[in-house]
Formats: sequence, structure tokens, C-alpha cells
Amino acid sequence: MLQEFIQQIVNGLVLGSTYTLIALGLTMIYGILGIVNWAHGELYMLGAFAGLYLAVVLKLPFIVALLGAMIILAVCGMLLERLVFRPLRQAPELNMIIGTLGISIFLMNTAIVLFSPNPLSFPTEYSNEYLSFLGIAITMQRLLVFFITVVLIALLNYLIKYTELGKAMRACEQNPDAARLMGIDINRISLVTCAIGAALAAAAGVLVGPIFLVSPQMGLLAIAKVFAVVILGGMGNVEGAIWSAFILGLAESLTAGFFSSDYKDIITFFILIAVLIFRPQGLFGNNVIEKV
Amino acid sequence: MRSEWIKYAATGAIILLALVFPLLGVKSYYLHVAILGLLHAILALGLNLIAGYTGQLSLAQAAFFGIGSYVSALLMLNVKMSFWLAAPIGACAAALVGILFGLPTLRLKGPYFVISTLGFGEIIRLVFLNWESVTRGPNGLTGIPAPDDVALGFVTLTFDTKTGAYYLVLVTLLAVLALYYNLVYSRIGRALRAIHSDQIAAEVMGINLTFYKVFAFALSAFLSGLAGALYAGYIRFISPDTFTIGEAVNILIMMVLGGMGTIAGPIIGAVSITYLLETMRVFADYRLIIYGLLMFFIILYMPQGLVGVLAMAKDFLAARFPLPISRGTDEPPGQKGAAPVKGEI
Repeated sequence: MLQEFIQQIVNGLVLGSTYTLIALGLTMIYGILGIVNWAHGELYMLGAFAGLYLAVVLKLPFIVALLGAMIILAVCGMLLERLVFRPLRQAPELNMIIGTLGISIFLMNTAIVLFSPNPLSFPTEYSNEYLSFLGIAITMQRLLVFFITVVLIALLNYLIKYTELGKAMRACEQNPDAARLMGIDINRISLVTCAIGAALAAAAGVLVGPIFLVSPQMGLLAIAKVFAVVILGGMGNVEGAIWSAFILGLAESLTAGFFSSDYKDIITFFILIAVLIFRPQGLFGNNVIEKV
Repeated sequence: MRSEWIKYAATGAIILLALVFPLLGVKSYYLHVAILGLLHAILALGLNLIAGYTGQLSLAQAAFFGIGSYVSALLMLNVKMSFWLAAPIGACAAALVGILFGLPTLRLKGPYFVISTLGFGEIIRLVFLNWESVTRGPNGLTGIPAPDDVALGFVTLTFDTKTGAYYLVLVTLLAVLALYYNLVYSRIGRALRAIHSDQIAAEVMGINLTFYKVFAFALSAFLSGLAGALYAGYIRFISPDTFTIGEAVNILIMMVLGGMGTIAGPIIGAVSITYLLETMRVFADYRLIIYGLLMFFIILYMPQGLVGVLAMAKDFLAARFPLPISRGTDEPPGQKGAAPVKGEI
């Protein structure tokens, strides 16, 4: 019983880490660009494929492949900002959603054609190493997911709180017009935000690709959950996204472990809808939601 | 006016063509494609009501489609209810779920509504999949009966053939269109468009936002549920695989490509895309790549979709080739729209 409980906690932390990394980019892009990026799950998927290619085909060490995929996707993120988000920024909200949804369909189906729809396995040098602890064995890969996520969150926190770039990003989030008057180049900040968001999503893809499988549809499955995370944490709220990612990850894995895995997806969406009804500003949000 | 006249003539011609279509000796396969196209037209019109007119995008339309299908099919199978009673009950069930779900979520401004519809659509699909004692899970429901014959005294209508099903769906679509046309150009339709342009301004003008948004959502759920019941009565087999997020996205693509916020657009989009989906299976993989890109470019440069393209082509032709009869009947330049409007306050 205890062993299974710990096993599910570990699974929950792995899921939570994945959701955190994807949700951070999504919530930052919403906070700074005001765009709900439906194609964000596709960045996670492309990141996983990039990592798979670097690690399995080019036989690079896993950590190098991780960094490589993050750099590749950072470039993709910048392209996305330049080609998709910037033209859409002036459009009505409904059009932004449909536009990025179109890009998501485009990217997913391009991946299906390029990589085939069948899930691929992504073996790494950490997949078969186990750490025994209280009589349960945990693969190194799962621990790695959690630790790298913590490192990335710490780096992001440092960037946002203590660097000039982070200060400029926060200024753009609070008031884009005032930020522009202070001499901040909003387009540059948007580019950097998208690059960081895409790189974090890529890190999520490369880290969990070896645990689950890598397939072109993984982005679609993830994005629905990550939206739940972002709403639970309050749209645009970075800290809230981290906490709620782990809450949802643990809720999901404990439901799967102790009730039935049929209900693990339902529980996430139930929490989402319950939060929207009773606390629409999110569990950690203090920014007031416009209720009309 | 000339352009009005052309519009009525074209609409009449298209309806006439649709009415005689099965009599032209087309292959039964194409009749099947046409039935699916018309069913999707009802679905796209439903989505258009909440997204195109009211400006609230819903990804739950496939779920309402499924609720209509499952409720009417279960009533027909378990209670042996006639299709003619089960279909409206299925559609009403979808509308009721739409009201219950819309009441809390439609109050929120911003991206919350569309995200919650995504979650809701997944919940409904998982219910179809996992509530095995009722829905028979992934196996789906088989042996759904066709709609009962209707005796009109001198003739008996049967619906277990493709031709019968085609006319049933076509007549339903025409009835939906009549309702739609009257709704869109009524006080309610104006209220919905006002909400689309600016919610706060609409509220200040005295429009009850929650009421109208929930009304539009419930009606769009009703139309999707109705399409679901017709689908169940035609295909006679339903399973959770049909009512996925992918299907919701398909309906969205049809609406966007045809023309959001127009009446003809969703129908044009639904019929043409269903035809392409069914006949160009060779290009199945590339199809969605193209649709995805098209969705982005259309929303950016041509938000009125194919209908917008047609309108532009019409204006272009009218400017290049003015018909002689049009002279004198049109208003003189500078007077356009200046005529006093009677009756409307």
C-alpha cells in the first residue's frame, strides 16, 4: 500500500513536472503577448521529436540532446512569434484562438506525415538505471525529469526576478504601453518570451518522451490538461501555474492508482470546470477575472 | 433590387437542385456523401450561432452531437420509442446539457469558455467510452432502427433507404434554415451580434448577456443534438469514436472556410469539405495540413471565408460588367442608404 502510494506520488511528480514546463510557456505568452497559444502542445511534441532525433539518430548524450532540442525549439518559438502571433495580435480574440488552432492542426498533421502517426519509443542511457528506495525501484529517468524541472524553474525565476530582461518582461506584462514609453522594445520581449516558452515546452517533451512514447498526437493530449493547469493557477500567473501543475499531476496519478485509470482524465477536467464555476480567477490568482 | 433578385434566384436554384439530386441517378455512394454533407451543415450552422454570431467559440459541438445520438438511440433501443419522438427528445437533452454547462461558463470573458468546452467535450466522450452498462463502451450501439414509415393517406414515406434519409435530412436542414433566417435578422439576432462586437457596450444597451449567450449556446446544442439523432437514425450504429475533439475541429474548419457569421457559409463549407474528405482519401494525410494553414490565413485576411470571396467576386464582376437593366433601378450615387427607414426604431 505504502509502496504503491509512493510510486503514484513519483508518477504525479513526473506528470506535474511535464505540465509545469508546458504551462510556464503558455502562461508567459498569455501574460506578455495576450495570446492563448493553442499550438503550444505542438511545441512540446516537436521538442520530443527533436530530442529523439538528436539522442537516438545522432547518438548524442541525453543532456546534450535536451539542450539541443531546447535551442532548436527556441528558434521555432521565435518563428512562431514572428509569423503567427505578431500578425494576429491586432485581431479579435475569437480570431486569435481560431488562428493558433489552425497552426496547431497544421503542425500536428505535418508531424504525422513526416514521422508517421505511430508512437516511437525513446530509449536513453537513464531508462534502465534504477534507484531503489524503501523497496521500490524508480528509474533514473523519472528522477531526472523532476530534478531538471526544478533547475529550469530556478533559472526562470532568476531570469524573471533579477535580470534586466526579466524586469522588462514584467513591465510588458503589467502595462505594454507604459513599457514602450520607458524605451522597452516590445517586439524583442515578445520574441524572447516565445523562445523561452518554446524551449521549456521542448524540455518537457525530451524529458518525458523516454517515459511515455513520442507521437505526433502527444501535443493535443497534453494541451487540454495544460489549459486546466493554467486556469487553475490563474491565467498569466507563473507561480500559480507551477503549484497547480503539481496538484493536477498528483490528483491524476492518485486517481489512476487508487480508483481507475478510466477516471484520471475526467478528474482533471472536473477540477477545471469546478474551478471555473467557483473560483474563476484560479486558486492562486489575485488578478480579478472580468465577469460579464 | 437586382442583387436581391439574383440572391433569391440562386437560392431557389440551389434548393431545387438539392431537391431533385437523388432523382438524377447519382451513385448511392455520392448520395451517402451528400447526406453526411447536409448533416454537417446542420452541425456547422449550430456552431456558427454561438461562434460566428455571438463570438463565443465552442469545441463542445461534437459532444452535443454525441448526446443527441446516444439519447435518441438509447430511447429507440431500450424503450422502443419511435424515432419521431426520440429525435426531438435527444435534441432537447443536448440543449438542456448546454444550458447547464453554459450557465456558469459563459459568464466568463476571455479564453475561459473555449477552454472549458474543450474539457467538457473530453468528459462527454470519456463518459460514452466508460459508462459501459449503458453506452456499451467502445463497442458502441448497434442495431438502431430506422425512422418509422409515415403514412400520409395516399402515399407512405419510408426512411430506411438512402433516398428517404436524404430527404429527411434535407427537409430538416430547410426547416432549420427557415428558423435560422428569422432568428438572425430578428431582435435576438441583433442582440447576439452586439454581444460579438462588444460585450460591455451590449450590456450597457440593456442586453441581458447571460440570457442571450446561454440561449445561443442552447440552440446551437439543440441543432447539434438534432443532427446527432438524424445521424443515429441514418447510420444505425454509433460509437464514441465519432464524437471526438477531432470532429469538433472538423466542424470548426467547415464553418471558418465557408464563412463565419453568415448563413450560407457553414452550408457551403460543410458540403464542400465533406465531399473533399470522403472523395480525396488519397490526400488524407495532407488534407489537414492544408486546412490548418487555410484556417490561419482565412482568419487573418478573409474572416468571411468562401462567402467573402464570392461577395468580392460578385462586386468585382458588377463593377466590370454593369448590366444595362441595372441602370435607373439603383439609387443615384451619394444617396445610398439615405432613404428613411420606416418602422424600425
